[in-house]
Amino acid sequence: MAPDRAVAAQARPEQEFFCFRVGDLRFGVPSENVLEVFRAGLLTPLPRTPSFIMGVTGHRGEVLPVVDLLRFLSKGEARIGPRTRLFIGVTGSIVAGVVADTVLGLRRIPVSDILPPPLGGDAAAEHLLGVVQGSTTQDGINLLNFHKLLQTARQRAVAR
Amino acid sequence: MSLDTPNEKPASKARSARKAPANKASAAAPPAPLKAFTDTLLTVLAGNLQARVPKELVGEGGEEMAHLLNQVLDNFASSEHRKHVAAQEIDQALDALISLVREGDLSRWNTTTEDPQLGPLLEGFGKVIETLRTFVREINEAALRLSSSANQVLAASTQHETSSTEQAAAIHETTATMEELKHASAQIAENAGSVARVAEETLGAARAGRGAIGEFIQAMQQIRSDGVAVADSIAKLSKRVERIGTVVEVIDEIADRSDLLALNAALEGSRAGEAGKGFSIVAAEMRRLAENVLDSTKEIKNLITEIREATAAAAGAAEASKSATESGEKLGAVAAQAVEGILAGVQETSDAARVINLATQQQRTATEQVVASMAEIEDVTRQTTQASKQATGAAAELTQLAARLAELIKRFKAD
Repeated sequence: MAPDRAVAAQARPEQEFFCFRVGDLRFGVPSENVLEVFRAGLLTPLPRTPSFIMGVTGHRGEVLPVVDLLRFLSKGEARIGPRTRLFIGVTGSIVAGVVADTVLGLRRIPVSDILPPPLGGDAAAEHLLGVVQGSTTQDGINLLNFHKLLQTARQRAVAR
Repeated sequence: MSLDTPNEKPASKARSARKAPANKASAAAPPAPLKAFTDTLLTVLAGNLQARVPKELVGEGGEEMAHLLNQVLDNFASSEHRKHVAAQEIDQALDALISLVREGDLSRWNTTTEDPQLGPLLEGFGKVIETLRTFVREINEAALRLSSSANQVLAASTQHETSSTEQAAAIHETTATMEELKHASAQIAENAGSVARVAEETLGAARAGRGAIGEFIQAMQQIRSDGVAVADSIAKLSKRVERIGTVVEVIDEIADRSDLLALNAALEGSRAGEAGKGFSIVAAEMRRLAENVLDSTKEIKNLITEIREATAAAAGAAEASKSATESGEKLGAVAAQAVEGILAGVQETSDAARVINLATQQQRTATEQVVASMAEIEDVTRQTTQASKQATGAAAELTQLAARLAELIKRFKAD
């Protein structure tokens, strides 16, 4: 849809990602999947939900679940501080909040720079679109297949 | 003369007697009765004074004549006898006188006489000799006393001479000692003078020290008041820094909100597609500015933290400086007191040294006078020694003379 339009529009195709850091991991989400960013604020814990659902928060009259990517990807646990961001991700009919320690910004990444995710990797690998190498290994960004990720999350939450 | 007088009369009598026979002889040969007279007279003239005219040879008529002549002869004989006795007594007296003169023997005068004519004379001699005896006895006694006195005088004079010599030696020694004393007192005076000088210098130094301590105390007070001002300033600075902190918090908050706003604006721009591209760029720029502000506020916060630590350290240092200056002031006060004590002590030392100097100078003068007096005394003593030597010589001579006098007097035997 949008990527195709972007590729068609440019001679040298690029894709815009909303890049952020949580814990030690850096992720990129296609910018069209991000509605808005605001401060995390107080979350209301929700009973009988998976551990990666940190709770719910109110946003513009809607109650949204807040996902902890680190827990979801089994990479630790996110902590909410005064500077912690929360962005609203949307894909299809699914709308959810995601906790990010820091927002790195919107980056336009050439499609040719996106490397495919390693095959046969861990649980995280199946939700990746690819990886962008940075100047150092720490600068590398994991580009998330946000649609698939949210669908999986929903399936897990409902499965319980 | 008086001795001759008894001779005169018999001589004239003899002459007259001799005349008579001569007259009788010239008258030619006398008759026999006359011959008896003549023979008797011749015998008497020859020396036999006992011869008498025998009455049987004279005749009648001649008896009366013989009796008269015999009476004359008796008288003549007794007169001659008396004359002889007197001559013997005179000889005896002369002998006594000669022995008196020769040997000084006054004891041998024991002459008595029955001659009424010689009696007063001899009695006079006896009185004279008795007087002489008394004199000799007294002189003897006096000579003995003189001798012993002369001996005593000699002894005393010798002793005086000895003691005078000793005195001279003692005076000489005393003079030497006084000379040494003079030198010693001069030394003492010099030392006291240098002590006084040192004390004066010390006094000056201690006064300078007192001034320096006063300045030190003033400086300490100044430092303390400065330290109080510094502490006040630090407190003010601390308050302002806190204020800056709150302001920075506000700025931080605003920057954070700006960051979010810019981010969301960028997302909006992104959703607008190509039309929102420029908007997205501006929003990204705004976001960068907000991030810069956040970095700056972070730096400011760090600085504020550092300043807080530094002001705390400065406040502590100011407090320590305050207590240090307080103890410095106390120490300065103690030092000032000590220096006051030193000043008083040094002042006393200086005064004492000056007094000692003065006293030793007086002592030196007095000692010089004593030395001069001792020299005079020595002179006098030398003269005294000389005189006592002369006196000893004179006493020795006197002793000899007394001995000789006693010797001489011994030649007169009074008893």
